[in-house]
Amino acid sequence: MVDIAFLAISGLIIVSAIFALEVKELIYGAVGLAFSLIGVAGLFILLGADYVAMFQISVYVGAVVVLILFTIMLVRRESGKIVEQEEPSRLGRGGALVAGLVALAMAGAVIMLMPGSVEAPALYQVTLRELGRSLASSYAVPLVILGLLIGATVVGGLTLVKVEREEKSDGATQ
Amino acid sequence: MTSLILPAPQEIVNLAVRIITSRTFFEVVFFPGFLNVMLSAAFLTWLERKVLARVQLRIGPLYAGPSGILQPIADGVKLMFKQMIFPELADMKLLMLCALGLMLLAFAPAVAIPFGEGLVIANMDVGLVYVFAVMSLFPSVILLIGWGSNSKYPFLGGLRSLFQQVAYEVPMWLSVLGIVMMTGTLNLTKIVEAQQRLWFVIPQILGFAVFFTAALAELERTPFDLPEAESELVMGWMTELTGPAFMLGFLAMYAKLYIMSALITTLFLGGWSGFGFVPQPVWFVLKTFIVASVIIIIRGAFPRVRVDILLRAGWTRLLLLALANIFVTVALIISGLGWVWRI
Repeated sequence: MVDIAFLAISGLIIVSAIFALEVKELIYGAVGLAFSLIGVAGLFILLGADYVAMFQISVYVGAVVVLILFTIMLVRRESGKIVEQEEPSRLGRGGALVAGLVALAMAGAVIMLMPGSVEAPALYQVTLRELGRSLASSYAVPLVILGLLIGATVVGGLTLVKVEREEKSDGATQ
Repeated sequence: MTSLILPAPQEIVNLAVRIITSRTFFEVVFFPGFLNVMLSAAFLTWLERKVLARVQLRIGPLYAGPSGILQPIADGVKLMFKQMIFPELADMKLLMLCALGLMLLAFAPAVAIPFGEGLVIANMDVGLVYVFAVMSLFPSVILLIGWGSNSKYPFLGGLRSLFQQVAYEVPMWLSVLGIVMMTGTLNLTKIVEAQQRLWFVIPQILGFAVFFTAALAELERTPFDLPEAESELVMGWMTELTGPAFMLGFLAMYAKLYIMSALITTLFLGGWSGFGFVPQPVWFVLKTFIVASVIIIIRGAFPRVRVDILLRAGWTRLLLLALANIFVTVALIISGLGWVWRI
């Protein structure tokens, strides 16, 4: 049962990720990314991490994809027209070749090093209470540092907006 | 040929009967699930027209059935068979997909909401976060509808909806934190059980006010109905949806109203708890419809706010109130009143 679910979810992730990369219209790419991220949330649920899965959905699909959609809409070209694809340059082709070779080599290494069969470790379901305890005790310092980092980012963003606005108003008065 | 393994017809029939008569099937298809949300959303459209008519000294729907109660069904049938007209360059596939997606998103939270003791489709430990996570997907779908319509009114409506819902999600999440701190769980069933002595609307009055306001904004209801401000944006992001697609989008918003009212009932108004011989689900649905009626009456009584006021109020006032609620809750917990809401 879990295997079928795992295969289905993995299929969803891979197919929608390829769709997101290959599709011509950027908006569809963002939709494909959203489906791929929902699939990742499904994997988290299979692994017994419901809490992480829910935040995967609300943060990545609910916020990051919205940000991407919004960015696309801000910079989008005329809708309905398909951009003509340029011929890839020689450098681009070489890069693609190298990337493909590296990927092949890594896949080969993984397959060669893989033992015949792997026992799946028993699922350890982390309760929310344990998660909260460990976040507040053994991981307290990283948590505080992360909070500081996010706070600094927000302040930085606000400062950038404010500086731009002041420059603009200066220009208006001159 | 006999090597092809197919279950005997009898077995298939048995399996089908077992599935159909199972409790889960009933829960998913009929009561807390699909049909309940669908019919309630249809009923809410009637209730809204009737209540608003009373507010404005009119009569409202009258002819279809007793006091026009069959009007939603008539409207639904009409919309189902209407021609679909889209702008020439609109992305029809995307629009239909998004309209269906909205419907799906509107139904999905019903899975985690307990309509009675044990009457819940999936009793999740992270039920509250699940409901919020599903709700947080609405703005992206609405933005896609606005973009796919390729018309200026829906696009402006979609953008407004995005700003508004993203801004009011933050105080919404924070306002329920007080309840989570008091009960120590995210499981909606346990949250209801913790309210047997005292509904959370009393110790969490500040959180309730913030949540209710944020819910109005999330639902795009007056006074926050900027995304479909009919005097400026025709019908907001729904402008270019026609026929069945419009029906899906419209019904989805009413289903969201129902779900949000149910969530308010669950979190603050004691959920299914009541008194007398009236069964629990009846209490729950009754409270839900009362909450929905209040939201509808607000539409008849208040004007619309401006965009900048809306955003400033969300990011400054409401956020601060939600944070204040957390401190009040900490004081309540420290003061030794914990036995009141202990399960």
